[in-house]
Amino acid sequence: MSDIWKDLNELQPIVLKMIMNGLAKGRVAHAYLLEGDPGTGKKQTALYFAKSLLCEEEGIMPCNECSNCRRIDSGNHPDVHIVEPDGLSIKKQQIVFLQQEFSKTAVEANRKIYIINHADKMTASAANSLLKFLEEPAADTVALLLTEQAQRMLPTIISRCQLLSFKPLPPDLLKNKLIEKEVSLPMAALVSRLTNNFDEAFRLGTEEWFAQSRKIVLKLYEVLLKNPLEAMVKLQEDFNGHFKDKQQVSLALDLLLLLFKDLLSIQTGNEQGLAYPDQLALLKNTALHSSIVNTTEQITAILEAKRKLDANMNPQLLMEQLVLKLQGGASFV
Amino acid sequence: MESFYPKNGRVVLHVDMNSFYASVEIAHNPSLRGRPLAIAGKPEERKGIIVTCSYEARTFGVKTTMTVWEAKKLCPNLIILPPNFERYRGASREIFHILRRYTPLVEPVSIDEGYLDITSSYALGTPLAISELIQQELLERLMLPCSIGIAPNKFLAKMASNMKKPLGITVLRKREVPAVLWPLPAVAMHGVGEKTADKLAGLGIMTIGDLAQASDHVLKNRLGVRGIQLKERANGIDRRKVDPEAANDFKSVGQSITLPKDETKQQELLRVLLQLSERVAVRLQRKKVLGESLSVMIRYKDWKTITRSKKLSGPIEKAEDIFAEAKQLFLKNWSGNGIRLLGVTLSDLTEKEQADVQLDLFSYEQEANKASLAEALDKLDKKYGEGVIQPASKKKPAGKEAAPDMDGKKSE
Amino acid sequence: MKFSIQKDRFAQSVQDVLKAISSRTTIPILTGIKIDATEEGIKLTGSDSDISIESFIPQEEEGKVLVDIQQTGSIVLNARFFNEIVKKLPSEKAEIEVISSFQTVIRSGQAEFSLNGLDPDEYPHLPQIEEGEVFKLPTDLLKALIRQTVFAVSASETRPILTGVNWKIEEGQLVCIATDSHRLAWRKAAVETDFNAEYNVVIPGKSLNELSKILDDSQEPVEIVITDNQVLFRAKHLLFYSRLLEGNYPDTSRLIPTDSKTKLELNTKEFLQAIDRASLLAREGRNNVVKLSMIDENLIEISSNSPEIGKVTEQVRSREIEGEEIKISFSAKYMMDALKVLEGTEINIQFTGAMRPFVIRPENDDSILQLILPVRTY
Repeated sequence: MSDIWKDLNELQPIVLKMIMNGLAKGRVAHAYLLEGDPGTGKKQTALYFAKSLLCEEEGIMPCNECSNCRRIDSGNHPDVHIVEPDGLSIKKQQIVFLQQEFSKTAVEANRKIYIINHADKMTASAANSLLKFLEEPAADTVALLLTEQAQRMLPTIISRCQLLSFKPLPPDLLKNKLIEKEVSLPMAALVSRLTNNFDEAFRLGTEEWFAQSRKIVLKLYEVLLKNPLEAMVKLQEDFNGHFKDKQQVSLALDLLLLLFKDLLSIQTGNEQGLAYPDQLALLKNTALHSSIVNTTEQITAILEAKRKLDANMNPQLLMEQLVLKLQGGASFV
Repeated sequence: MESFYPKNGRVVLHVDMNSFYASVEIAHNPSLRGRPLAIAGKPEERKGIIVTCSYEARTFGVKTTMTVWEAKKLCPNLIILPPNFERYRGASREIFHILRRYTPLVEPVSIDEGYLDITSSYALGTPLAISELIQQELLERLMLPCSIGIAPNKFLAKMASNMKKPLGITVLRKREVPAVLWPLPAVAMHGVGEKTADKLAGLGIMTIGDLAQASDHVLKNRLGVRGIQLKERANGIDRRKVDPEAANDFKSVGQSITLPKDETKQQELLRVLLQLSERVAVRLQRKKVLGESLSVMIRYKDWKTITRSKKLSGPIEKAEDIFAEAKQLFLKNWSGNGIRLLGVTLSDLTEKEQADVQLDLFSYEQEANKASLAEALDKLDKKYGEGVIQPASKKKPAGKEAAPDMDGKKSE
Repeated sequence: MKFSIQKDRFAQSVQDVLKAISSRTTIPILTGIKIDATEEGIKLTGSDSDISIESFIPQEEEGKVLVDIQQTGSIVLNARFFNEIVKKLPSEKAEIEVISSFQTVIRSGQAEFSLNGLDPDEYPHLPQIEEGEVFKLPTDLLKALIRQTVFAVSASETRPILTGVNWKIEEGQLVCIATDSHRLAWRKAAVETDFNAEYNVVIPGKSLNELSKILDDSQEPVEIVITDNQVLFRAKHLLFYSRLLEGNYPDTSRLIPTDSKTKLELNTKEFLQAIDRASLLAREGRNNVVKLSMIDENLIEISSNSPEIGKVTEQVRSREIEGEEIKISFSAKYMMDALKVLEGTEINIQFTGAMRPFVIRPENDDSILQLILPVRTY
């Protein structure tokens, strides 16, 4: 058995079993929705599934060595199409391209497969085009839609797919793996809460920029407690210069969110599994001066900010508003 | 957030797409970005007229209504494309789809502009933040630029959106009207065309400020009620609501009749329906238009009113076609209870000259059968004289002629 | 892989296969040209996955050595760069050698290029041809068949199957049909074959256009092989593959009228020119519609009316008019498209009503017909 199989089976035994059962019985659906957190192995599973369908060797499991398997990995198989967001969204043009592709016979295989990553990022008209496409599936096509946010997809699309739910990974598993690879404990604890993907976690955990990010967010938090006005200044000084684009600000919000979640955790008497275990003393101190209600409000404010960021609100404006709200929560309201 | 919103008044946005057709073409083919581009009726012919052009083309002095030839002289590298209305309509649908996510109160004015009432949308942010979101979302998802005006009413929002192009966001408060609008010439005002401006000039009214301070009496004498309305606008007052339904009323021809008594007899109701169909047909023919959607309104004796609509397979104008569709729709939806009022409306209008239909190989037989029936009737008419074959109900004595009703139906 | 080759011949082959390569491909390997060196010669392949073109340069031709193969093998090289390089090589000869892990050296005269190649195993596998089930058509006839039908395919993707030409082979006859649902082109020809299989496939119009461009105007036979996924055309030293369209082509045979209520006989050129003139004004309107009506037993009138611009009428003499009187409107463009591909100086048009399709045929030739759906006017 291959390493990929072992890894995936360790991560997502139920999903793998569903796929393998379908293949064994020769019952492959026209469309699947692979839904779950980042790093839970959706894309690897999708590729693995595609290989199972097209592998030249006998048996259900792909050999990972034949020409078809290798070309699926390299993106060169002419009958396997992978669609990724073009910028922020998946545009109608990309789905139309798929439709045109699938109105023709396969180039080599007897099956055509399309994988749409971040399927929730389809624009409304792209989603509608896809829907039409799913409603009249061509013979021998298999659609694999991948999403981290199934609730953002059209229900009419979801209802046409067989659902494969990827379970979240236990953070400790990843944390310990990272520590084995000599990532420091504070870093390992934090990054394992941000992603489930080992490679990404390792990259973040060893990256200078990320270490700096953590420092700036912690600093912002400390200042926020002491002097709200100074927090605005801090924002101008360090924060805006460091977190430049939307994705970076989104990460900063995640870091902040984890900090307040830790606080809440301590307030409810749980000091295990913190994202910032080395900040226990600081957090405990704050916990004394703030109430659970306050902390919950602050968490809500951060989540709200994340949502607005997704809706393309100006990041600087958004952070300023957030800082005002967060300090309000602690002392004024 | 609520603090950014007025306690009593409203917050209205006017979203105006920037050089819409050209922008859609650029979004469709990004390699056109940054190049002078114009859309013209017949690009291959010198005398085609420029319908719209990109801002790059404008810097060369290219303007709408110029001929292709004139424009090419100003800007030899001008790229000229024929209009693709299907594409523009598609983009327009997507725009309004996005706008409706910010508030249900969206009133499309045309293919590329609309009003939004966001008074109740404070949960999404300040008016300015919402405008920024809308502008960014349209730009990022559809690659289409727009200008937005933020104001307490439609008129001011429209004036505001016009102030900064492309990609402007302009707030116009009522208290800023004297400083911002009054110095402008009257013709710069939305609703004042060349003709009205001439009339105003005849009264010594040159600027919007002059209009704002003009005497009601003089305005009313020269311009009627509209004069008073214009003066109100010049003072920043506009009571029109943002009406999401407004677009639906646009362009329809309808007729309704209140019946002399609550009618339950099917035969009699169908006779009324035929009468209505004939009136609608006459008005369609007078306007030289055809309709592609038909609706029937039924008001029962308890004043419960239902309206049922249907998209037709092709445009129609003849009384018998209208009646056939109306009858079908009516019989399908009539509960059998006594009816007080009946109405028939045709919408989705197209001008007759534009309504030619290229027949389709896979569906022509339906059309052909309809036509051959009409031809057969024609021939019988010719053979035996006009009116041999009449709709059955015409032969009935027309004793109980129902009175046309003016109150019921908005039309056009 | 190592060989040396005559440069001009090589450059020509590169040009040929380049026609199949698209810069917009989503499959990385298809940005390249595949080169296979075998004992027999050099094979070049280009593909955009819809069509694939193979060009073969034999080791020897008419006693002249074209290629000197020192070591067989394969490589995929970036098409754009490779084409530019080959065109600009200084000497009559080019030497190509893969030195290590896909790194390729191109030598000519004193110039030496080194290009990073791609793994040839990643390249799409084109179907293997089974000898036997082969049809043959002369090149010029094949090109005529394409020209006379492909213009009528649909340009819209709403019914993808209509973007292709339906090829039916039955009892030694090939029938080609194309329709965009507003007009239809039909052409029949005898094919040369040794066996009796039946085929019914739909070939994308775009592929046929490309094929027509790459074939020269000769009477040399082209061999045609149809497989499950692809159709293959083989000319001398050239292979052209196209994917097929999925699905069943609509049955149009019952939609082509067999009877006729009105029949006109016209001179093709006169009629075409009259339509062209009438459409001068009609083009401004939305549909480019012209009207045809009868004046007397051997005169018809072509007219069009665009309210803002003006009117045009023209009378055209008909050799013969049979049957009922008719007034009918149709797209001038469709009519001109049809007339332009009909060979023969005289045509006849058969109508069955103003709302029904009509059929145009050359006099005394039943191998081709053009059908047009009229426009309903108000």
